[in-house]
Amino acid sequence: MPRYGMAIDTTKCIGCHSCRVACQNQNGLDYKETFNWIKNRERGVYPSFDKEYIPLQCNHCENAPCQRVCPTGATFTSKEGVVLVNPNTCVGCKYCMEACPYKMRVVDHQLGIVEKCRFCIELVRAGGTPACVSTCPTQVRIFGDLNDPNSEISKFIAQTGALPLRPDLGTSPKIFYKRS
Amino acid sequence: MQESAWGWLIITYLFLAGAGSGAFLAAVACDLLAPDWSKALAKAGSLVSGPLVAIGTLCLVLDLEAGLWEPWRQIYLANNLSSMIAWGVIVLSIFIPIALLYAAALNEIGFIGKFANKYVRPLEIVGSLFALGTATYTGVLIAVVNGVPFWNTPLMPVLFLASAISTGLAAAMIVAAIIDVATIKTLSNFALGHVIFLSVEALVLMLLVFMSLTRSTEAAYSANLLISGLLSPYFWGLVVILGIVVPFFLSVIEYLEYGEMPKALVVGADILVLIGGMSLRALIVFSGTPPQII
Amino acid sequence: MKKPGMSRRKFLIGSAVGGASVVASSYMNFEAWAASEKPVEDVKVTPTLCDGCGNWCAINVYTKGGRIWKAEGIPIAGINHGRVCAKGHALLHEVYNKDRVKSPLKRVGPNKFEPISWEQAYKEIGERLQTIREKYGPESFFLVQYPEGNAGLTNRFINALGSQNSFSHASTCFLPRNIGWWITTGNAKPEQDIEHTRFGLFIGRNLGAGLQLRQLSDMSKAKDRGAKFVVVDPRFSEIAAFAHQWIRIRPGADLALMLALANVIITENLYQKDFVEKYTEGFDEWAEKVKEYTPEWAEQRTDVQKDVIRKLAHDLAEAAPRAFVHRGYHGAMGTQYKNSFQLVRTIGCVNGLLGTFNQRGGMFFAPKVQLGKLDPQKHPAPTVPEGPMVDGSGDPERYPLTPVGLGLTHAIPELAIQGKLKAGFVYHNNPLRTCPNPARVIEGYRKLDLLVSFDYVLSETATLSHYILPESYYLERDDVVHTHLSYQSKQVSIRQAVVKPLYDTKPMVVILNELSQHLGIGEYFNWTLEEYNQAALAPLGVTLDRLKKEGVIDLGGKWEPGEPHFSTASGKLEFVSSILKDNNMPAMPDWEEVLVHPDPKDPHSFRLVHGKQAHLTHTRSINQKYLKEISQLNDMTKVWIHPARAIALGIKDGECMTISNAVGKGRARAMVTEGIHKDCVFLPSGYGVFSRNLRTAFGYGISYNDFLPTYFEPMLGHCMSNEIIVRVEKTVT
Ligand SMILES: Nc1nc2c(c(=O)[nH]1)N[C@H]1C(S)=C(S)[C@@H](COP(=O)(O)OP(=O)(O)OC[C@H]3O[C@@H](n4cnc5c(=O)[nH]c(N)nc54)[C@H](O)[C@@H]3O)O[C@H]1N2
Ligand SMILES: Nc1nc2c(c(=O)[nH]1)N[C@H]1C(S)=C(S)[C@@H](COP(=O)(O)OP(=O)(O)OC[C@H]3O[C@@H](n4cnc5c(=O)[nH]c(N)nc54)[C@H](O)[C@@H]3O)O[C@H]1N2
Ligand code: SF4
Ligand code: SF4
Ligand code: SF4
Ligand code: SF4
Ligand code: SF4
Ligand SMILES: [Mo]
Repeated sequence: MPRYGMAIDTTKCIGCHSCRVACQNQNGLDYKETFNWIKNRERGVYPSFDKEYIPLQCNHCENAPCQRVCPTGATFTSKEGVVLVNPNTCVGCKYCMEACPYKMRVVDHQLGIVEKCRFCIELVRAGGTPACVSTCPTQVRIFGDLNDPNSEISKFIAQTGALPLRPDLGTSPKIFYKRS
Repeated sequence: MQESAWGWLIITYLFLAGAGSGAFLAAVACDLLAPDWSKALAKAGSLVSGPLVAIGTLCLVLDLEAGLWEPWRQIYLANNLSSMIAWGVIVLSIFIPIALLYAAALNEIGFIGKFANKYVRPLEIVGSLFALGTATYTGVLIAVVNGVPFWNTPLMPVLFLASAISTGLAAAMIVAAIIDVATIKTLSNFALGHVIFLSVEALVLMLLVFMSLTRSTEAAYSANLLISGLLSPYFWGLVVILGIVVPFFLSVIEYLEYGEMPKALVVGADILVLIGGMSLRALIVFSGTPPQII
Repeated sequence: MKKPGMSRRKFLIGSAVGGASVVASSYMNFEAWAASEKPVEDVKVTPTLCDGCGNWCAINVYTKGGRIWKAEGIPIAGINHGRVCAKGHALLHEVYNKDRVKSPLKRVGPNKFEPISWEQAYKEIGERLQTIREKYGPESFFLVQYPEGNAGLTNRFINALGSQNSFSHASTCFLPRNIGWWITTGNAKPEQDIEHTRFGLFIGRNLGAGLQLRQLSDMSKAKDRGAKFVVVDPRFSEIAAFAHQWIRIRPGADLALMLALANVIITENLYQKDFVEKYTEGFDEWAEKVKEYTPEWAEQRTDVQKDVIRKLAHDLAEAAPRAFVHRGYHGAMGTQYKNSFQLVRTIGCVNGLLGTFNQRGGMFFAPKVQLGKLDPQKHPAPTVPEGPMVDGSGDPERYPLTPVGLGLTHAIPELAIQGKLKAGFVYHNNPLRTCPNPARVIEGYRKLDLLVSFDYVLSETATLSHYILPESYYLERDDVVHTHLSYQSKQVSIRQAVVKPLYDTKPMVVILNELSQHLGIGEYFNWTLEEYNQAALAPLGVTLDRLKKEGVIDLGGKWEPGEPHFSTASGKLEFVSSILKDNNMPAMPDWEEVLVHPDPKDPHSFRLVHGKQAHLTHTRSINQKYLKEISQLNDMTKVWIHPARAIALGIKDGECMTISNAVGKGRARAMVTEGIHKDCVFLPSGYGVFSRNLRTAFGYGISYNDFLPTYFEPMLGHCMSNEIIVRVEKTVT
């Protein structure tokens, strides 16, 4: 069984938001609702001034607080390690939104439930690539199987030493960032 | 990615559930400790307890989306017992009927009241446990949220419990005064309750804020929001001064000057406690800051 | 609790039976819902071309239950390599935008429109045009467009009417860039083999926002291979975030930097001698000239340290010929400065010194596909009227190098005021918002006796038009066969309808066919799009059916490195240009000052520079909700200002600033950042919609055109859109 994850190379991100809208369309989201965000951060003074664009989305934590607090059990982890929300049992209590330390969940007001990045699981199970990955013009994102040491993502993480955001929060995220 | 997904409905719920369970405890205390001169207060407390918690629960339900549009989904709410909401649902659904029965019993409402009257003691014992549970649980609900470091501390349930008791007492006293103005004089006995629980609340609040300042950057950020930042006028004005300091001193005077204080001030102190309690919930929710992730 | 009005689910209260069964079934299907592909509601895929910007990326558009759903890039397409940008995705939703024009409209009062039939519109336009023709002749007619695939048809139309006044956006976008490259290399748009380069230098070309998806994808691959990229820009652009080094240059001073690079490369003997000897013209003369342009000299002008300049020259030379200085687009060397033409020339010449042409990882000339034409016996083509355009384009006395057919779009208002232009057709263009000084543009366009817009919404220009003939949205129409963006290999592609038109709109070719019958030029449009496209494809051995099925077809003929061929007069890269000499223009790239400077003594005085944002196209896409939300969420209408300058003006980040000059006045909030040169403020260029009929974006943000005087650069006539000095102050409330 694969264990899916993503690697993100922020040194290649130009903040173009293509991934955001690709994802919105793929998942039928309204314009204000999104599963990913591009934040940026400026550092330093010229000539060593730098600005980094950082794509953010659900980290599919191994140890997911959102899942722990979900009263209905609507939030669950799939066999591929993808944290998903069952749209038929979620009541929209938003407890998971509070519990997610990364604040990566949104209310889908059309369905009245709380959703988040779902690693495009239908697409992926059908052999495709997540929408945000395939659309990214600078190939910032690598999606793949963390269990397979020969997958592109595993090699990338091994070579670059990419790390999750705030590993100290103890949730064991499955998105790894190369940031310099 | 939102700062806080919860708004006024949840704040109201946290407040009402606290006040309702506090009122229950106050009623039981009156009924047990001083049955003669505090009957009115026990009755009043029992009367408000159930409805307050029920209205609070209604707010919680109104905050749902799919669970509101398709109410049968609420059946799932107790699916996952590692969730505090699941426990909350269980505790509330037991506590609310007990509180209503207790009110009926003490006030001898209808045949149910007559029937329940026979079981006042058991109702008081079991009810108190669940009241304690409800009051504490509102704090635990947010204390287990590691997504917001400021909330994530065992002090939170203690603070919420203290605040629940003082707001419950206040609610009971106000209703008692409404039912029978004459009782106001005897109510002054209970000003001692305010003195005690407001002190506890103040102490815990102080601990929470000061410990947060060093606990983590985000907790410190939240604490600073309260004591010197954007929310500080509300914190100092509504929670600390109007909600704690003023009613504290009024209660001290009231207690010492037994029965001599103007009635308006007695009730006024209680109203202030309620305002303070509500503001406390609101400010704690609004000051919640997620970890800095980038 | 949100109003469940939008709920896709039905609002079913207390249906106990239903509830129970849902409970039961959901307990059973706990994980199954995601695993089992829900019965796919008839998904259909149609290959077509995006119309979100001039790139025309090839995309597969998916519909679900007949409704547009999503797009994916077509992997083989040379222009986008399977990628789609935010606009490409978001503009799919525009089909359903309520602001669309739903039938032909006639303007009956200020911002008052009456739906009319196509027949009536054609008839009335025909009558009015006839009156104007009788009084002023066909030379008073014009067309203004963003010329893309359909330009062959629209130009045919205006020529058939007897006018050569076909304007494009050139004078507000790229004019000096194209002419500069054409003069220097004989090709107006050389490309760069980014994927295989070792070193790329970008002079104000911000691929990270003025998107070209293929080039970005190639940059990413090159970066993996160890290539280095340096970005010269007064502000830290999006592509600077990707690159290895950012050089914060004083705006308008790039020419000095390039001359100094040439100086170092020549004086230190770093140039590719073989190449220069074999393939260039006038080297010695130019080498002599650039001697004076030392890094020390350039440091004064550019605010870039001489050591940085030297290092840059060395880096370039070391990587050469597997290197390039990007050919640029709009920023820095489009229509920005009085010296932009010289800048482009110099960039061409520095590439010449580095011998990058037709080299792996250097510059190349893209292979071109020759399309077939309609049989002239059966389908006569109109004769193209001789002589220069009314604005002086192609006139030896005025703008000899500015091609007829590009023209100076921002001269139209002046010409209308002078009474030289009387009737206009606007296609896929919005001159009221994209030309300098809106007040002046509005005044000019108002003077016209007839203005006809082909647009899908009531843009600023359409709102002022007498008639609006709505073209079907690109997802609803077929267009002509497309080729010219095939990049490294020969490719042909086509735009085709994904859904049927939602409203009473028509594809452009149908509109032109029908309209021409009423204008007495029907004989030039006696064919269908089908026939036109078949004729176009005939020489390629590709059938229309196949093309429609595949969307993009690769015809081979891939570019390979080798001997460079320059189609200049001399057949070589021209440091010294014979054409320029013949026209009494500076024959060699040389230093030239910009037109205006901010006052160094006045703390309020700034140059106003602008640039694209990746999620917006010019002025036309901010009305799209998904895109506007990106701006709002990320606070992207802010104007950038350097901290030192902001402090001097008492402006803090996020505070409101008033920006003004003789042309206009506006407000914007400040983004205080180290990422910009002290001399300028930066205004993103996608805002400032003033058409009330674009309801999502109306009144949101401001535009640089609000501050840009109407200039005509003396050689080419472009609009010099960075020659703006503004006064910036903290807004007092
Ligand atoms: N304010 C401002 N001015 C600019 C620029 C800028 O960024 N901001 N950029 C400059 C540059 S580089 C350029 S290239 C020019 C571009 O100048 P324009 O081409 O005028 O710019 P757009 O804003 O793209 O306007 C395109 C028009 O086409 C219409 N349109 C869109 N889709 C269709 C369609 O399917 N059919 C038809 N018939 N019409 C359609 C839009 O509604 C809009 O009115 O502007 C220049 N001037
Ligand atoms: N997303 C998106 N992509 C587009 C378009 C679009 O509208 N939206 N339009 C297409 C079209 S028509 C065009 S013309 C291109 C434009 O593509 P570009 O030319 O790359 O884009 P601009 O944003 O106009 O300018 C690029 C940079 O020039 C910088 N600049 C300004 N003044 C100076 C200067 O004096 N010196 C230097 N070195 N730099 C300077 C600006 O800060 C900006 O970062 O993009 C094309 N692609
Ligand atoms: S599409 Fe790629 S480059 Fe653009 S914002 Fe997303 S991750 Fe960054
Ligand atoms: S990032 Fe947040 S939403 Fe995603 S799995 Fe982790 S805790 Fe849950
Ligand atoms: S909103 Fe839905 S997914 Fe989130 S905790 Fe509540 S029931 Fe679970
Ligand atoms: S993986 Fe899929 S669901 Fe997640 S952000 Fe990317 S496109 Fe959206
Ligand atoms: S760059 Fe974006 S908007 Fe332009 S054609 Fe390509 S996908 Fe469409
Ligand atoms: Mo352009």
